[in-house]
Amino acid sequence: MSKVRIMSHLIAGYPDDEGMYAAARGLVEGGAAYLEIQLPFSDPSADGPAIQKACSEVLSRGYRVAQGMKAIRDLKVLYPQVPVFIMTYANLAYCIGIESFVASAQESGAEGLIIPDLPFDADEGLNAACEKYGITSVIVAAPSMSAERIEKMTRENRPYIYAALRAGITGEQTHLDESILSFIERVRGSSRVLGGFGISTGQQAALLAPHVDAVVVGSAFVRLITSASAEGPEAITSALKEKMHKLTGCTEPS
Amino acid sequence: MNVDRKGYFDRFGGRYVAEILYQPLEELERAFNEAMEDPLFIEELKRMQHQYVGRPTPLMKAENVSRLLDAEIYIKLEGYAHTGAHKINNALGQVLLAKKMGKTRVIAETGAGQHGIATAAACAHLGMPCVVYMGSTDADRQQPNVAGMELYGAQVVRVESGSKTLKDAVNEALRDWAGSFGETHYVLGSALGPAPYPDIVRTFQSIIGKETKEQTAELGFIPDTLIACVGGGSNAIGFFSSFLADDAVNMIGVEAGGRGEKSGEHAVRMSDESSRDAIIQGYKSRFLVDEDGQVLNTHSISAGLDYPGIGPQLASLGERGRITFTRASDREALDALKFFAEHEGVLFALESAHAAAVAIKLAQQKSLKGKTVINMSGRGEKDLFITSAVLRKEEWRSFLLDELKRLEETDV
Repeated sequence: MSKVRIMSHLIAGYPDDEGMYAAARGLVEGGAAYLEIQLPFSDPSADGPAIQKACSEVLSRGYRVAQGMKAIRDLKVLYPQVPVFIMTYANLAYCIGIESFVASAQESGAEGLIIPDLPFDADEGLNAACEKYGITSVIVAAPSMSAERIEKMTRENRPYIYAALRAGITGEQTHLDESILSFIERVRGSSRVLGGFGISTGQQAALLAPHVDAVVVGSAFVRLITSASAEGPEAITSALKEKMHKLTGCTEPS
Repeated sequence: MNVDRKGYFDRFGGRYVAEILYQPLEELERAFNEAMEDPLFIEELKRMQHQYVGRPTPLMKAENVSRLLDAEIYIKLEGYAHTGAHKINNALGQVLLAKKMGKTRVIAETGAGQHGIATAAACAHLGMPCVVYMGSTDADRQQPNVAGMELYGAQVVRVESGSKTLKDAVNEALRDWAGSFGETHYVLGSALGPAPYPDIVRTFQSIIGKETKEQTAELGFIPDTLIACVGGGSNAIGFFSSFLADDAVNMIGVEAGGRGEKSGEHAVRMSDESSRDAIIQGYKSRFLVDEDGQVLNTHSISAGLDYPGIGPQLASLGERGRITFTRASDREALDALKFFAEHEGVLFALESAHAAAVAIKLAQQKSLKGKTVINMSGRGEKDLFITSAVLRKEEWRSFLLDELKRLEETDV
């Protein structure tokens, strides 16, 4: 059976620079299909407690957006084969300037941007800038969207749609039911679907995998990085690699 | 009104939220517009404003202060409303709306605790369960309000993230709502956040200005100057909104000057160059952020004025020059509080005392012409823990020590 494709989440600068590279190594060696790298924002209102706490720890060191962009550039040099998406909040892109932000994302080698609080129909020119610089702006779709809004969204024909599968914040368990699967079908259009929010086990990932291009796993990795960080970078690498194996190899009977 | 696109005030406002919240905000906007057209809703709200809140709140001439300052100063005693501040106007309106929408649970954020206590009371009155998110720093310094909320049966959740103040409570409430909007209404307490909140809050708070207009008309005048304090800005926009069309009425918004000019020592968004355009907590406005767009720390002696952003309509009216923004420091606010308490028998909340401080300053400079109305958006009893610690530190300290001793003795 085919391997489960995982988009795995990292926070730039977390737990520190060395630990972040160690985490990326574990994820890539474990077989990550994509890396989603979050640039920490002071007020991440769409994230759960694990990611929020990690972001404020990074920012308390005075971490800058430019450092995050450089870290992404370094990771692309190390792992050119793994596409990277930058996830962050509207204000970091907006204050730096949407076009400058997109330009530096492109320069860092990122494949695209995921900015949940810039709605696709009020994105402050994000998609236009992304098209200009040849990267992609990923829409985050949610099950609460009306049929009209989903239709408006699919008409955008974006290369990727990020389907946030549960009503709520990141980091809680997800039960895959019919309504989730039908939601994925409704948002797909001509896009590749990255599906997640609350996925933490191989069993969940295997359930979802046949319906999406990649399964997004976020908070589960961040929690693992947090708990492994006390034992140093090697521990982070091996913990994440092991977790990734569980997530991707879950089609085998356990 | 200067609304050019839906939900915008010039370039400010909008609805910058994750897609998950788009639909609940649309639902809220529809329900609000329907309610405003529904005579039964309006009548029910009016009845409760009168019988429960105690409206209309008085407008009084500050005779002694006017004489001392050689000015003509009136005070809209909005703090006489039930729960001690203007916050009840919006809380009651929104909780009634939540009921009409068929919601069975209410959540709210609170900074100073005034919005929390108003929402908790409104929920108790209307029979709705209520959860209030409050930054732990705020909860620690506003213990009387925490106690009050709990008496009204609300669950107060301490928020330990970020700066542990109002903005973090807003984040936490948004997180809750993203997972609970099916049965839950989020009662946002200031005229900010994603559309339609700025319109909803202004509408429910506009009763302050409407009454002021009627009350001044009864006394035979139109005010020359209105002064209000501005945190997020709900009392200010509610006070000003009925007078916006009359260009002869001068409007002054007073921000928290805090304890200094440096970043982190104040919450001045409009009256100097500290702020930037930013998109935070669902709307675009002027915010105190660093070069990367990270939200900066702020300070004010009053917990209600230390929010790093400002309501989008006020930002727009400020840029257009319709509202003049200025500041008052912690010290000036305390002095004004004492001045009005001693000479007028009126105790301002620390927030509203910022507006009083500017009235005093302008009168002393002889630039307060004609008739001025200050909005006393809250009354000051809630601040006795803070003002006592500054104004009578030793007596307060020995009271607290004795009180602790008494508590421990009766505990046995």
